[in-house]
Amino acid sequence: MIKWSRSAAPFIVLMKNLSNKEMTSWLFLAPVLFIHLLVVAIPSLSSLALCFTDWNGFGKINFVGFENFLELFGDRVFKKAVTHNLIWTSLFLTVPIALALLAAFLLTGVKRFQMFYRFVFFFPYILASIVNCLIWKYLFHPIHGLAAFFKDIGWESLATSPLTTKETSLYAVAFVDGWHFWGFLVVIYITAMYQVDESLYEAADIEGASKWQTFRYVTFPSIRPMFLFSFLIIIIWSVPAFDYVYILTSGGPAYSSEVVANFMYFEAFRNMNVGYASAVGALMFVYVFTILGFFWTLRKLGWEI
Amino acid sequence: MKVISKSIFYGIITTSFLFSTVAVAKTQISWWNYSNEGSGLNAALTQYIQDGFNSSQDEIELEIIFKEGEYNEATRTALLAGVGPDLVSSSGATYVAKYVEGGFLKSLEEYAEKFGWSDKILPWAYNTGVFSDELYSLPKNYESMLYFYNKTLFEENGWSLPTNLAEYEALAAKIQEQGLYPFAYGSSGWQMTHEHLAGNYLNTVAGPDNVYKAMVGEKEWTDPEFVESLELLKKHMLAGYWSGSLENYYAVGWDDFSAQFQNREAAMLQIGSWGFEIATGLDGKSDDWGWAPLPILTEEGGEPNYQLSVGGTLSINAASENPDAAAEVLNWILTNKDTIIELTKSRNFGEWLMPLYYEEADFAGDIEPKLRDYLVDFSERTGNGNYGYTTWTYYPPEAGTHIWKDMEVVWAGDISVEEFLGEQQKLWEKARKNNELLPIAAR
Repeated sequence: MIKWSRSAAPFIVLMKNLSNKEMTSWLFLAPVLFIHLLVVAIPSLSSLALCFTDWNGFGKINFVGFENFLELFGDRVFKKAVTHNLIWTSLFLTVPIALALLAAFLLTGVKRFQMFYRFVFFFPYILASIVNCLIWKYLFHPIHGLAAFFKDIGWESLATSPLTTKETSLYAVAFVDGWHFWGFLVVIYITAMYQVDESLYEAADIEGASKWQTFRYVTFPSIRPMFLFSFLIIIIWSVPAFDYVYILTSGGPAYSSEVVANFMYFEAFRNMNVGYASAVGALMFVYVFTILGFFWTLRKLGWEI
Repeated sequence: MKVISKSIFYGIITTSFLFSTVAVAKTQISWWNYSNEGSGLNAALTQYIQDGFNSSQDEIELEIIFKEGEYNEATRTALLAGVGPDLVSSSGATYVAKYVEGGFLKSLEEYAEKFGWSDKILPWAYNTGVFSDELYSLPKNYESMLYFYNKTLFEENGWSLPTNLAEYEALAAKIQEQGLYPFAYGSSGWQMTHEHLAGNYLNTVAGPDNVYKAMVGEKEWTDPEFVESLELLKKHMLAGYWSGSLENYYAVGWDDFSAQFQNREAAMLQIGSWGFEIATGLDGKSDDWGWAPLPILTEEGGEPNYQLSVGGTLSINAASENPDAAAEVLNWILTNKDTIIELTKSRNFGEWLMPLYYEEADFAGDIEPKLRDYLVDFSERTGNGNYGYTTWTYYPPEAGTHIWKDMEVVWAGDISVEEFLGEQQKLWEKARKNNELLPIAAR
């Protein structure tokens, strides 16, 4: 008979636990969790910790308490950037969603070449942001682009670049980003619409429902979980909106298209205020968590999300 | 026979071993430089510096590694991790100051003394690498701001280069009457272009003496001379001096303004000395071109100055295991003036123009005479103390970004010039308080 030594006891406990189903699943998750901890969680937490310091990315780290946050709330550029992010979110929650719902609904009725249309709508989404931006930068160019054409035909009011005019730059950047993004929404809405029970449409048909009524009372309620999901991801993705702003305008002219992520990048890598930039990151983190908490609460209340 | 074969065999083995031992014994020195393969920079640096140095001796093996993307970020990350190359490149004194603060660079004092580097480098440029009385970086390139103009166009229209503000504005008006832009320029893709213009106006309206006094804290940036400088810049910007309008200026990038200058859409180009690359684009055409220092934009005019600028630095990593060997590389570069001239010539004098003591005889006959004239004139004028200050070499980080980033807010009319300069003053005071000021060439 084999007698287990005292030192082997923890191993036995572990072996016993290994037979436990729950433990096994944790073991399978362990590698991913480890990587996540290493490359996401720990750097994120470190970054959060930096928001209470005056670190410049090189030298000594001094604890400054809430000084960065107090300074941020008085920063005119930060306030402008936050306002622009809110406008940005509102724009993306309305224009691309409305267009995508319409396009998806119309496309479900198309029998021939549907894949072709889907590809056409989705195509801008698979292009690199730098390519999309360059295309529109050339189109919007005031000397060589569409503006020059409008000038030639006498439409002086359109003979300027919306990207370099402070009244329109934010909307112009949002337009270019939206142009690439809305095709993604079309595809996810179409996928959801195809899951709708065909008998509901037949019933609506028999009842003599119009296209709008069919959409209003059959399609939309059936795709509501997907719709709310798209709503959620747009709110979350609007927070770190960066690449289109950075490439097209760098937040200019005169901060007219500045957004929070570009502001944070600028502070961290140009002004070398890493602690200050981390405070911006911390606020973005809190905002996203609040939104997630809100949707989580809705789900707990029985909403289909 | 067998014995002879065996001897030959052992001989070969022993010789190979010895050679390999010699090869392994070489001290390896690494150096990170930004990559620009398309323009031939990588090949030129490899040929002139890496191969040139390696073939000059048998003890040290230099390897230049070209980093794609923002090499300052890659360098910073590596230095923070306690690694990185033996030789550290940076974009300028701002980075060096931060690296020194973090303790990432080795002091070069002992090497400077041993090799006599202060006798090889122009004093103003040497001093941009001195922090707390110790040398930490060597200047890799010097630049200044210039006027380039279409000489043929000027002759055809009877225009002449301005020498004061009235002539400058009159010339711009005449050029605009012809349907041309006075200056080709724009900031698309490089927002920092604004600081070139701001620096030009501060140094030619307020003047370098006042700029120097403000930098060392003897004057305030809100003083009337500086307000007048930036008000004038705003007036000229809104009058469409650069590419026709403010909106055009924001939309025009390097390729666009090069084409404007080369295709007679603009009569002049106000740019750094790297603009020789654009001006020489006229060489294949029927138009001739010329260059001039920036005129003094006051009523009475005055003697033009060259703004001093160091673009790029070289230092030794504090974590390097072979700092002495790294210093040998730096010394080889500084003592091989001919190689450096060949290298900078291959870069059209836009890069690697090290601020060494040059004489006319240093430049071979095949150098573009206009360029040689500039190099010699620069040495003479700056040698006489007739120099100004570029923002990107002498401004501390936050004031240095504010001068170009917030300039757009002034041009948009969202804040006044006084408010803008008030913010500048605060940022300089903050930098002074935090000991973040960069070395400034004294007057």
